[in-house]
Parts: sequence; structure tokens; C-alpha cells
Amino acid sequence: MKLDTSGFETTMPMIGFGSSSEMLDGFSSVPSFDLPRTTDFDGFQKEAVQMVKPAKGTTTLAFIFKEGVMVAADSRASMGGYISSQSVKKIIEINPYMLGTMAGGAADCQFWHRNLGIKCRLHELANKRRISVSGASKLLANMLYSYRGMGLSVGTMIAGWDETGPGLYYVDNEGGRLKGDRFSVGSGSPYAYGVLDSGYKFDMSVEEASELARRSIYHATFRDGASGGVASVYHVGPNGWKKLSGDDVGELHYHYYPVVPATAEQEMEEATE
Amino acid sequence: MSIFEYNGSAVVAMVGKNCFAIASDRRLGVQLQTIATDFQRIFKIHDHLFIGLSGLATDVQTLYQRLVFRHKLYQLREERDMKPDTFASLVSAILYEKRFGPYLCQPVIAGLGEDNKPFICTMDSIGAKELAKDFVVSGTASESLYGACEAMYKPDMEAEELFETISQALLSSVDRDCLSGWGGHVYVVTPNEVKERILKGRMD
Repeated sequence: MKLDTSGFETTMPMIGFGSSSEMLDGFSSVPSFDLPRTTDFDGFQKEAVQMVKPAKGTTTLAFIFKEGVMVAADSRASMGGYISSQSVKKIIEINPYMLGTMAGGAADCQFWHRNLGIKCRLHELANKRRISVSGASKLLANMLYSYRGMGLSVGTMIAGWDETGPGLYYVDNEGGRLKGDRFSVGSGSPYAYGVLDSGYKFDMSVEEASELARRSIYHATFRDGASGGVASVYHVGPNGWKKLSGDDVGELHYHYYPVVPATAEQEMEEATE
Repeated sequence: MSIFEYNGSAVVAMVGKNCFAIASDRRLGVQLQTIATDFQRIFKIHDHLFIGLSGLATDVQTLYQRLVFRHKLYQLREERDMKPDTFASLVSAILYEKRFGPYLCQPVIAGLGEDNKPFICTMDSIGAKELAKDFVVSGTASESLYGACEAMYKPDMEAEELFETISQALLSSVDRDCLSGWGGHVYVVTPNEVKERILKGRMD
């Protein structure tokens, strides 16, 4: 099976490093992923898939509006019932004007987004202009398609601003790629969609859109057991992305629904009437 | 996920100086989805005897109703309340009756026995009693709870300090569990009064 290893190839000679640095050898020669030496590759694949399976517990969302693209995500990593971390960075900065969201296997998402960043930079250098969001998402989708069936777990959204304006694409490990205005990915996505769809208008200001994104993530963390931690909100505008906020959802709950002391006195009044 | 993790739960009981505390989380879920944040898992049998039930929610409610029935009958016949160790034996027998089709619950029993000596015990779903002198835990967050209680527990704590300790142990453990939390419910029982408190926790 021909694996897509073009991400590793480089036409630049590795001057200054020579053969002494073992770390960079993987990038200078023609590499490939080592396939495991096993008699039953399909069975091994199944086991590998099951190992990463619990990982799509998350809530990420992104939507296009008048002022650009709003991207938001929670920060919880769970393994079955156990919370392994409450502070995972799920919004990956591919380059200063493009963001990717992480859902699925953390290692898979981090690696392939970084790989995508490398390819985007190479495109810039080769063509003297920035790559479009459409082109970047196509590169990622093609890379993932060539690993189809091998157990990668990636459900990502590529959000950015290029010459045609704001762009948003959903790309997953099946090799699917969808262009759209609103997406939410992960186990908490149905709850996020409920709030996002009912509050969405194209004509929103940056503050309104960021509050909508934050609220959607908060509601998903409340209902979904596998989402929680910190709700991060990023905005992608014509000058690139900017992180707007990172609020702990535990505190957001009491901010939206403050605890009101019980009105015992009122009840007594009603009894005497 | 196993059937014990279907609804999600966390229950813990601790012994203090002539008092005890029993605490639980408040979440009712269906696997990852949260349905309610005010689900009751700790029930009063009489003023000095409480039972907390973790596990499948339907069995929690049914088992509680069965136990209340049995205790009321006992009260009518013996004209007094049941002692905690007797009650624990009763629960164990009722659970073992269903040995080949068990109630999918793990009870935590806490009470004040003779001379107001605190009594706590836990059981597995088919009635194996485990008495302890310090604390007992049960539920999906039980491993985290064991760690937290082991670290925070001191013998002979007074009621207020016991409340603080059990609350901190519960909240920090459920914050590491996807399936339990969304608030806490704590009962601190001394020979003279029962103090019920609701804890403000992380709602994620």
C-alpha cells in the first residue's frame, strides 16, 4: 500500500547538521511509518483502534459570521470514565491566520496539524503566496484519506481567512471534507448545536459571537460528561487569529446561574394569608 | 462501560468523634448525558441511621423502598429503631437473596450505634460486608475517593472539621470523574442533630 509520505520529504539540503544529528534523519531521508511485524495485521489494527476509541469525548465548534470565523472548544481529555486532564489545548494554531480544532485522538490531531502547517509553509515558499483555507483542508483530507482504515481518529475543523474571505471546513479521519458555515464536533456537539443554532445570526458583532460560542460550549460541558474544563474562544479575522477568552466552565455556571438563597421568609407569609 | 457505570455515582462515609458524615454527588446521567442534577442517593432510615446507594439508579430507588418497608415492620414489631449493625446484616441478607440476579447497587451504611459509637460499612452488590473504622467509598469515582480520603482523613475529628474533610474529598474526587459530580449532598450526624448541606461544585 502506497502511504502518503510527501509531508516528510524535503528538497532543502540539511546543511550544518550533517550526519551527526540523529533526530533530523527522519526528515532528510525517504521515510515511511514502520508497519508492525505481525501475522494478523487486521486484528492488530482493530486492537489499535479500540485503544484510541474513547477519545472523541469533547466539544468543539466553529461558525462563520460577518466579522470572520469564531472557533471555540472545551479542554477536557477523558479515558472512559476517568478525566485524564482538564487543561488540553484543543485549538491548534497551524499558522498565524489558520486554526485547527482537535477532536478524537490527541496525538493524531497534534501530529497531522503540525504536518499540515509544514505543508502550508512549503506552499507559501514555493508559490510566493499564502495557501487558501480550501487548499489547506484539501491537503489534510488527502493525507487522512491515504491512511483510511488504519485507525486514525481525527475530527477536525480548519478555520481561516484567505483572499476569498473567511473559510471553514470539516475534515475527518474517513477522508471526508465538508465546506460549511457552522460545525460542531465531538460527544458534546448535539448540545452545542442546540444553543448555537438557536442564537445564530450572520450579522453579529465580535462580542455577541464570542458570547454565543462561549455559551454553547458551556451548555455542552454541563450536559455532556466527557466535556469540561476551560471554554476557549478564538476569533479569526482578516489579520489572523486572536484568542478572545478562556473561562473555567465551573465558574461560568455560577456566573450564568447565580445561587439564590432560599426564600424561607416568603413561605411563612403565604401561610398566614 | 459496565452497567454499574450507566448512571454514574459517588458515595463516601467517614467516622469522626461521636459523629459521622455521609456524602454523595447529585448527578443522574444516562452514560455521558446528564439528565438531572438533584438526584438523591442518601436516604434516612431513622435519625441515627443513613444509607447511601451507588450504582444503577432504578435499583437504588427500589432497594431503598424495600429497606424502608423492612425497617418499618421491625419498628412495629420491636417498638424501637434498628441498630446500624443489625441493619447492615439485613441489607446483606436482602442482597444475597438475589445472588443470581443481583441489585446493581453498592450500599454505604452509616449510623450511630450503642453509646453513640459511629458505625460505617460498605457492601458489594451481592452483600459482602466490609466494616471500616475510618472511611468507606463506593461508586464510579471510588478509586479517586480512596486516594482523597486516605490523604485527608484524620481520626477523631469534630463535626465541623469532618464536614470540611468529607466535602473536599468528595469534590476533588468527582472532579476527576466524567460520570459523577454536578454538586454534592452531605449529612453530618451527631447524637443531637442531623445537619444536611448542599455543596456548590463544578457543573461540568
